[in-house]
Amino acid sequence: MATYKEKVGTSVVNYAGSYPGAVDGELWYDSTNKDFKYNFTSTVGSWATGGSLNTGRRAMGGAGTQTAALGFGGNSNPGSPPYSVDIDKTEKYNGTSWTEVNDLTTARGYGTRGSGGSQTSALFYGGTPPSVLAYTESWNGTNWTEVNDLNTGRYNLGGAGADNTSALAFGGIYNPGQIQAVTESWNGTNWTQVNVLNTARSQIAGFGIATSAIAATGEGASGRLDITELWNGTNWTEVNDTNADRSGAGAAGVVNTAGLIFGGFQSSPVDSNVGKTETWNGTNWTEEADLSGPVYYQQQTGAGTASSAISFGGEGSSNQMRTATEEWSGSPVTTKVLTD
Amino acid sequence: MAKTYQYCVAENWGKGFIDHVESQRITFAGYPGNVWQVPAYNKHGNLWIAKVAGTVKTKTEAQAIVDAEVQAAQAAWDAQSDEEKADEFNTRPADITLED
Repeated sequence: MATYKEKVGTSVVNYAGSYPGAVDGELWYDSTNKDFKYNFTSTVGSWATGGSLNTGRRAMGGAGTQTAALGFGGNSNPGSPPYSVDIDKTEKYNGTSWTEVNDLTTARGYGTRGSGGSQTSALFYGGTPPSVLAYTESWNGTNWTEVNDLNTGRYNLGGAGADNTSALAFGGIYNPGQIQAVTESWNGTNWTQVNVLNTARSQIAGFGIATSAIAATGEGASGRLDITELWNGTNWTEVNDTNADRSGAGAAGVVNTAGLIFGGFQSSPVDSNVGKTETWNGTNWTEEADLSGPVYYQQQTGAGTASSAISFGGEGSSNQMRTATEEWSGSPVTTKVLTD
Repeated sequence: MAKTYQYCVAENWGKGFIDHVESQRITFAGYPGNVWQVPAYNKHGNLWIAKVAGTVKTKTEAQAIVDAEVQAAQAAWDAQSDEEKADEFNTRPADITLED
């Protein structure tokens, strides 16, 4: 890479506004704003607002990337009639705005909120209400088709997967008090039971693919958890805990060595929604910048990678069903003004 | 005592309402009623409020807006049937206290 001196010599470039193509550390004079500026790549991630969903909801499924995401299903507003409506709507995000496309076959929420799949190939499994569902639906980029059910019907389960031919479903809950450790693997046609989680739980933040996944946090028999388990394609192994316990957090990531979780419902100091974001590097969790609110939310959905993710929907602190979208950049390029 | 935060009311229009540069520079918190909290006595906080055409509110005014939103949500929750209130996903909205 050319150094600053090799590229521009010792002169300071005079440019009206943001200087395109500036390398990290390269100084320019912004003649419009009358500031000396330079760019640097931050080592800390940040959230920015994105376009809002057309239909606010919690506990929806999600797939794709920050600029090509898919959101489907979910559950709407308790507290304002009609009470607790299941949603069948599917929306596509293009990096700026959400557009409605074809609906799910069966309206439901609380299926997997996993970050697996893409805008052209995704899977949605489990869910409730009215009953606990084992349904699986496959998305081909245009339509949802019902395919073979999970062996164990459940809701608030974790999920991971690359597309509609390969996925992993883990944990969840059957009825209140019947928290599951069961794990099932999808081969494109059927679900097969594989080795169970070490700690049964629901409301898991899950990410990865069928052979390389993370199950973080959740609601266990004793309350909210900070436990993380790593899936290597065969077994779950407990690894380092998150910094904060919580349930109903969103998650994003495509391998078990890099990802993030965000938001959720935390036990301490009091039961409350949180905006905390933690990133996973394969070994440890690090707390980074919070979501911006309103007053944070739980049951939101995530998609994307550790460095470029998206959070959408969820339930706010006064039970509002959120339409908000936030976009995560793991190492954004930031312009620094010398007078800052 | 000097205040830590300032408040404004602004509607989140989506993309660009808060960008990554702003998010790196200051901490945002949003509350019901389109109330936003940013650091007080902070140039970047002031610039962001100007950018989003936010209406600046005192902490007392902002608290009143948040209270009205929360109380409306609580009243709606209280009006539900016992069966609806017993739903495991349906918790009563909690009060929110803004910080100085």
